[in-house]
Amino acid sequence: MKKKVLAVLLASAMVASLVGCGGETQEAPAQTEEETTDDAEAEAEAPAETTDEAEAEAPAEEEAITATITVWGPSEDQSADAGNWLPTMCEQFAAQHPSWDLTFEYGVCAEGDAKATITQDVEGAADVYMLANDNIPELVAANALAELGGSYLDAVTSTNADSIIASVTYNDSVWAFPFTSNTWFMYYDKSVFTEDDVKSLDTMLEKGKVSFPLSNSWYIQAFYVANGATIFGDGTDEAAGINFGGENAVAATDYLVDLVANANFINDQDGAGIAGLRDGSVNAIFSGTWDAASVQEALGDNMGVAALPTANIGGNAGQLKSFMGSKAVGVNPNCENMEVAMALAAYLASEEAQMAHYELRNVLPSNTNITLADDAIATAVTNTMVSTSIMQPVVSSMGNYWSPAENMGKALVAGEITHDNAAEKTEEMNTAMNTDVAQ
Amino acid sequence: MSKANDVAVTGAKVRKTITNIIVHVILAILAFIWVLPIFWVVLTSFRGEKGSYVTTFFPQTYTINNYVKLFKDTTILNFPRMFMNTFVIAIFTCIISTIFVCSVSYCMSRMRFKMRRPFMNIAMVLGLFPGFMSMVAVYYILKALNMSEGSMIPIALVVVFSAGTGLGFYVAKGFFDTIPKSLDEAAIIDGATRWKIFTNVTIPLSKPIIVYTILTSFMSPWIDFLFAKVICRADAKYYTVSIGLWKMLEKEYIDNWYTSFAAGAVLVSIPIAILFLMTQKFYVEGMSGAVKG
Repeated sequence: MKKKVLAVLLASAMVASLVGCGGETQEAPAQTEEETTDDAEAEAEAPAETTDEAEAEAPAEEEAITATITVWGPSEDQSADAGNWLPTMCEQFAAQHPSWDLTFEYGVCAEGDAKATITQDVEGAADVYMLANDNIPELVAANALAELGGSYLDAVTSTNADSIIASVTYNDSVWAFPFTSNTWFMYYDKSVFTEDDVKSLDTMLEKGKVSFPLSNSWYIQAFYVANGATIFGDGTDEAAGINFGGENAVAATDYLVDLVANANFINDQDGAGIAGLRDGSVNAIFSGTWDAASVQEALGDNMGVAALPTANIGGNAGQLKSFMGSKAVGVNPNCENMEVAMALAAYLASEEAQMAHYELRNVLPSNTNITLADDAIATAVTNTMVSTSIMQPVVSSMGNYWSPAENMGKALVAGEITHDNAAEKTEEMNTAMNTDVAQ
Repeated sequence: MSKANDVAVTGAKVRKTITNIIVHVILAILAFIWVLPIFWVVLTSFRGEKGSYVTTFFPQTYTINNYVKLFKDTTILNFPRMFMNTFVIAIFTCIISTIFVCSVSYCMSRMRFKMRRPFMNIAMVLGLFPGFMSMVAVYYILKALNMSEGSMIPIALVVVFSAGTGLGFYVAKGFFDTIPKSLDEAAIIDGATRWKIFTNVTIPLSKPIIVYTILTSFMSPWIDFLFAKVICRADAKYYTVSIGLWKMLEKEYIDNWYTSFAAGAVLVSIPIAILFLMTQKFYVEGMSGAVKG
C-alpha cells in the first residue's frame, strides 16, 4: 500500500514537471510570433516616423529601446465612439520618441477598480495605469506605484492646484500624475431656482424639490464638515483622527433629522434623483461629471450647474463641502522599462493629452494652464474645488470612515434617528469612525 | 345509519376541499412571489424610460431599443462578444464536466477499491469549502502554467469551470446505484467490458441525471462572476457576460445601461432555456422499460 502511494506521488510529480515543461515549450513559439508581428508593425510605422522626425523635438541622445508597454485604462478611453483617446495618445507618444521602438498592449480597468485589479497580481499588471486617488494607500502598500521625482515631480507640482497635488500625495511623496478632478457638485433646474436661490439649501427647499444622496457616505460628510467637523485635520494628518463628535456634529445631525422630515427633500438612492429630474418631480440633484449628459438630456436649456450651497445648521450658515479627489496615471515599479513607462505616464497626463481628453470625452483637465471659461460644468467644478470642497484624505485610516457614515445616513433616512437620540447616535458614529476595524 | 354515513362522507369531502383550497392558495401566493422578479426583469428589459429608478411597476412606454443597444453599442461594453465567449466556454465546460461527472460516478457506484471510501469522504469534505476560497491560488497556478494571459484565458476558464466538477459525483452516483446490478452482470455474461457496460447499459438508462448534469454544467459559466473576474482581469476581449452585466451597473454606466442590463439578463436565459427544451424529453423518460419480467 505504502509503495503504491509513493508510486502515485512520484507519478504526479513527474506529470507536474511535464506540464511545466509543456508550458515553456508552448511559450517559445508564441514569443517569436509576437516578435515577428512587432517587426511587421515597426516596418509599417517606419515611413511615418521618418516624416515625423523632422518635427519631433526628442533629444538626440535618447538610447534605442525596444519595449512592449502594457497600458490599462477605462473602456471609454479605448472606444472608437469616444475618439480612441488612449491609443491615439500612445501613438503620438511613440511618434515623439523615434529612437524607441514601442508596442502597446491595452487592458480595461476603470480608475476606481485599479486597487482591486492591480493588487491581485502586481507583477503581472499593467506598466502604466489609471487610478482614482483614493486607491493610492493600498497600491503603495502593494508596491504597485512608483514614486515621482525630478522633473516629473516638478511638472506635476507646477501645473496643478494645491488640492490636486495633495490628492496624489501620500506619506510625503507624490505617487501619480493627476489628469482630472473627481468630485460632486449641484445640478439644478433654472426654471425653478434663480442663481441667488442656489446659494442656500434652505431657500431651495422652500422653492422646489431637492434630492441629495444622504445614505451615501461620499456625500453625507458635507453637512458635518459644514458645521466645523474635520477629517484627519487638514486631510493629511492621520494622527488627528476623525472629529465627527461634539456639539457641532450633533447640530448637523439635528439638521439632517429635519431635512429628512422636509416634504421637499428626497433621498437620492438607486437613481431616484436623475429619474426625478426626468419626470419633473425633482428640481436639483447632487452628482458629478459622469451624470452631465443625462442631466443635459433631462433638463435641456434649463440645466444649471453650481458649486454647493450653504445650509443653516444650528443658526449659522455653514458651507457644504464635498470630497475632492482626482484621477491620475500611475507607473508600476515592476515594469521592465521604467524610463519609457514614466515618460508615457507623464505624457498621458500632459497639457496636450488633457486637452484631447476634454475634447473627446469631456474629461475636465486638472492642468491649471487650461482655462475653460465658457464651460458651465468646468466653472462649477473649479468653484467647487476652490471654495466648497475639502480634500478627500489619502490616509489608510480613511477606510474606517465609510461604513459608520453610511449607516448614519441610512438610519436618518429610515427615521431611526430623532432629535432625542441624535446626540447619542452622533457620538456612536464618531467612536466607530475612530476605531480601527482591522484591530 | 346510511344517513349518518352520508354526513360523514360529505364531511370528509368538505374537509378535503378546504385543505385543497388552502394548499392552492398558498401555492399560488408562492408562485406569484417566485415569478414576480423574473416578470419584473422582463418588463424592465422592454421599458422605454431610461435610468434605474422608476415609480411605477409597469413601464409607461415599451421599446425594443434596450436589446438593440446591447448589440449595436459595442465599443464600450461589447455584449455580443461577451455572449459568444461565454457560449463557447459553456459548451466546452458542459461536455468536459459531464464526462467527468459520469465517469467518476460510475466508478464510485460500480467498482470496489481500497481508496473508495476515503475518497468519497475526502470529496465530501472538499465539497464543503466554498470555491472562491481558492480563487487567488487558482489564478497563480494558471499563471505558472502560462494560462493567465491572452488567448489562453478562455481555455483557463474552461479548465476552472470543468476540472473540479468530478467531485460533484454524489447525485449521479446515487442515481447509478438505483440501476440494478443484474443488468451489469447480464452484460458481463454476454462478454461486455466495463467500458461497454458504461456506454451501452448505464448511460442509456441514466438520461435524466445526464441531462441534469449537462444543464447545471452549462449554466455555471453564465452565472459565475468571481473566477471570470479574477482570471480575465483587464483583458476585456475575453470577458464573460457576468462581468459585462456587472459593469453595466457601475456608477458611470448605470443610468444609460440599466434597462439594457435587464435585456442582457433575459438574453442570458435563452441558451439555457433552449438547451432545456431540447433535453426535456429525456428528462421524463427515465427508466421505463429497463428491466423486463
